[in-house]
Amino acid sequence: MNLGWALTLLVLFPLLGIVVLAFMPKTAEKSIKLVGFLATLPSLLLALAAYLHFKWGKDLADFAVTHDWIQFRGMNADEPYFSVNFELGLSGFQLILVVLTAVVATLAAIASKYVKKEWKGYYMLFLLLETGMLGVFTAENLILFFLFFEITLIPTFFLIGKWGYFEKEKAAYSFLIYNGLGSAVLLIVIMILFAKTGTTNIEILKSIMADPSAPLSGDLKLGLFIALLIAFGVKLPIFPLHSWMLKVHVQAPPAVVMIHSGILLKIGAYGLIRFGLGIFPEQFEKLATLLAILGVINLLYGAFLAFIQTDFKMVLAYSSISHMGIVLIGLAAMNEAGVQGAIFQVISHGLISALLFFLVGVLYERTDTSLIENLGGLAKGMPIAAGFLLAAAMASLGLPGMSGFVSEFMAFLGLFNELPWVAAVGTLGIILTAAYLLRAVLGMTFGQAHREFAGIMDLRGVEFIPVVVLTFLIVLIGVYPSVLSAPLQATLETIMLGLGG
Amino acid sequence: MMENAWLIPLFPLVSFVILLLFGKRLKEAGAYVGILMTLASLVFSILVLFERFSEPSYIQKFEWLKIGDVSLTAGFEVNQLNALMLFIVSLVSFLVHTYSKGYMHGDGRFPVFYAYLGLFTFAMLGLVISPNLLQTYMFWELVGLGSFLLIGFYFYKEEAKAAAKKAFIMTRIGDVGLFIGMILLFWKTGSFEYSEIFSAVEAGGISQTMITLTAILIFIGAVGKSGQFPLHTWLPDAMEGPTPVSALIHAATMVAAGVYLVATMFPLFAASKTALLTVATIGAFTAIFAASIGLVQTDIKRVLAYSTVSQLGYMMLALGSAGYVAGVFHLMTHAFFKALLFLAAGSVIHAVHTQNIEEMGGLWKKLKWTAPLFLIGTLAISGVPLLSGFFSKDEILVAAWEGGHPILFVLALIAAFMTAFYMFRLFFMVFTGEARGNQNHVHESPGSMTLPMLVLGVLAIISGYVNTPWFGSFLGDWLVDGNEKLGHGHMEGPIWIMIAATVVSLAGIYLAWLIYGKRSVSRNWLSGSGDTLHTILYNKYYVDEFYQMTVVAVTKGISYFLRFIDVFLVGGIVKGVVGFVQGLGATGSKLQNGQVQTYAAVAFVGLAILTVIFALTGGYLQ
Repeated sequence: MNLGWALTLLVLFPLLGIVVLAFMPKTAEKSIKLVGFLATLPSLLLALAAYLHFKWGKDLADFAVTHDWIQFRGMNADEPYFSVNFELGLSGFQLILVVLTAVVATLAAIASKYVKKEWKGYYMLFLLLETGMLGVFTAENLILFFLFFEITLIPTFFLIGKWGYFEKEKAAYSFLIYNGLGSAVLLIVIMILFAKTGTTNIEILKSIMADPSAPLSGDLKLGLFIALLIAFGVKLPIFPLHSWMLKVHVQAPPAVVMIHSGILLKIGAYGLIRFGLGIFPEQFEKLATLLAILGVINLLYGAFLAFIQTDFKMVLAYSSISHMGIVLIGLAAMNEAGVQGAIFQVISHGLISALLFFLVGVLYERTDTSLIENLGGLAKGMPIAAGFLLAAAMASLGLPGMSGFVSEFMAFLGLFNELPWVAAVGTLGIILTAAYLLRAVLGMTFGQAHREFAGIMDLRGVEFIPVVVLTFLIVLIGVYPSVLSAPLQATLETIMLGLGG
Repeated sequence: MMENAWLIPLFPLVSFVILLLFGKRLKEAGAYVGILMTLASLVFSILVLFERFSEPSYIQKFEWLKIGDVSLTAGFEVNQLNALMLFIVSLVSFLVHTYSKGYMHGDGRFPVFYAYLGLFTFAMLGLVISPNLLQTYMFWELVGLGSFLLIGFYFYKEEAKAAAKKAFIMTRIGDVGLFIGMILLFWKTGSFEYSEIFSAVEAGGISQTMITLTAILIFIGAVGKSGQFPLHTWLPDAMEGPTPVSALIHAATMVAAGVYLVATMFPLFAASKTALLTVATIGAFTAIFAASIGLVQTDIKRVLAYSTVSQLGYMMLALGSAGYVAGVFHLMTHAFFKALLFLAAGSVIHAVHTQNIEEMGGLWKKLKWTAPLFLIGTLAISGVPLLSGFFSKDEILVAAWEGGHPILFVLALIAAFMTAFYMFRLFFMVFTGEARGNQNHVHESPGSMTLPMLVLGVLAIISGYVNTPWFGSFLGDWLVDGNEKLGHGHMEGPIWIMIAATVVSLAGIYLAWLIYGKRSVSRNWLSGSGDTLHTILYNKYYVDEFYQMTVVAVTKGISYFLRFIDVFLVGGIVKGVVGFVQGLGATGSKLQNGQVQTYAAVAFVGLAILTVIFALTGGYLQ
């Protein structure tokens, strides 16, 4: 059974929404928001269907699709063709990322109801961004990946720069410069690989690179891997390449940050796992200790800084840096537990930060502030929102029964077997995370109300959808982690095979 | 019945979910949901306990998470220790649920309170029924959540907020020890299952150093949860929570989880003399340390809190002296009489609306039920003969003596003296003498509050008789049955220990009576011997201040230092990158100056470069 068409549709459906939006009047706020929301649904349904497809024991390879696209060759007629095909596919790892993307995109579309102006442009860019993200996670060759990767940059730039808060332009440019440089480096890596091997298909590249007679010297490989590390390190972000994302977290509209923190940062992790671990396993192994140390630095650096922030959005921004450290820690362990923990952390953090930023949006909408000291005592006026905020914080600090714990646990479990001392230093982060999150969240919700929140509206109506869905998924993964680990089984086996054991 | 034991924790979970969703509509009727559900747990627990008397242990597990080839399981287990714990936890929880109906009456967030109680009870029962270390850890953290939520129940009070935060973070420091210990054990033994860990330890495949290290790491977890020195400071502050919560969580169940953990992991501890000695030393030190603070506190709940810390230290001392039975036995009797004391204290607070014992006095006649019940609890905890605490305390002293630590034994004896003294100080100041505060509206609490106290009062008297040197050590024999690693069911100690314990306890009571009852000795006897000592004790040895000046200050210092780096160093990189890009742009735009000559020059240079490259490479990039 070939379901390639379904995957293509899944990726391209949001574009259809753009077309519809293009024919709508600019001022029809309600209908624009509705269409924008509805346009994300087909991809979501298809993604869930793909998950069920897997769940029912069918092969994910059914979704592979290949079309001839670009072909060229050098000046000599006897040289082989260079071909770039339109190739999409799904492995278990990609599947769960696609589901995550579709879910968060739909929920962010709901959160976009707070957008105050130029709804048409907003939703068109938003949907373009969704296609970009879905494409990134399904592309089967590097050129296509890069193309989709670039597609995510442009809408994000405008979404931040136009619909953000006070320093939105600065944040947008900072975003563009850093990510632009990152993708320039990435492009160089891809082009060298293409020129040297004649293909950009990821699976083929993997087998070529595993072959000792590959036309690349060890040094070149190491160089390429380091370049890759920088390219995706900007995205993840790895210390000290992180400062652009702080601005984005603070300045972008909450719905965009849901996407940004929930999905876009994860492209960095995805790239490191799929290309770093997949194509350059030996080089990865060489730098594993360095990566573990970088991971611990990320974890602690983010945590310490989150501890003294006055703006809740900044707390969350540094918290993201800290949590991405756990991804690095898990990957650096290079064993099943570690890698699985890293992937779990990618998904878990995606859901948790989407939830947290949705709640930030809810609060900002009502109080016009996200400064912790201005929000004290909020639980009195908004008990439900405060409750969910506390739940999200608990998930974020790794409370068992929620997704954060499973990923943190596995990442540390993995690293303790390889580098116990590095891991032991890292566990300090577990305490710090609790300290900064409770300081921030209790500072906002507990205590005496600094100002009168009487009459403030608690969560209501559609606002319940993102909150309940995300909380449900977070708890589901925490209680029944097989929901993620089952699709990952095959992916992990392949990675472990590449690592030679 | 045992195969259905998994239902026991689920009843309170159901209560939690129902109350969370429908609490607003149920209002105070929500109490019945909680009471009924915990009653169901209690009934099941009793049935399971009785079945376990006659039948072997039961274990059931299924795959929870697969990591590569390793399959981590979840499930439940019924053995002697946790069958007993299930009974204790569900009983106290049921009684506290009942009691709270009266105590929390009129509170605007009544259903929320019951929801949290349900969540906590679920987690606590889940903790004791766990068959492996990982699952135990998960519930271990969840009871911490329940405790956190209930300490912070009066969230609008700054003190409650600070106390909740402190409790969570302090216990988490301990939890990290447990976390590391658990992971190290996994890599050494290949499993989280208790049985497999123990057989690997017994088989001798693990180095002595590793056994000691993991045991101490796990003990650090217990130190955090059970409020042992140096992580004890959160427990007295936790008294900011409603009093029924203090009885359930911070006296009878959760804080005993640390003791339970050490008891569960006992075969590991038993394999390392160093680990056992660490446990015993920390326990004995905490016992006397906390008791000395309890001597001078004036808040009724704080006195009881320090008493709890001290008694938990006692249990640790027992376990560390290889007195498995003694530790578990005292855990049980303490759960009953300390819960009783807290509930009675709650009843007093309910009546006089203050927690300061300086403002109480003369309540004996006004609180006809509460006062005698409080007295029973006081007698039991002081170790007065024939009450439950007497037997369990005696067992601990014997264990400490036989365990070969004469110094620890002496410490324990002194702590016993202090316990008797500060408990009766409390009793005399609250119930005898003149009324010192406004007591116009003092009235006895409703039946929903006195009945649970009555049940606990009966248990505080009789529960010691399941394990006595006179009528046989039924409990001890049963606990260690089929597992010789846990030691003997009953330790035969010299008779003078029992006499010494009694003398010490009576001496403490007598001194308290002289000072606070008869008032023939000045109340300022401590201050008389030097204000310094009183001040130090009253300020709890300044441990909080010490942490504030060291740990907290250092953390903040590092944070500000890193912020400096973030702004100047990392920010410098940003400026560099931006400057570079801008410079490049500026240079590029200078070329776009509209002069055709420049364009031609650029084009020509470009062509020249391309030609050179073409010539050098032979027309193709290798």
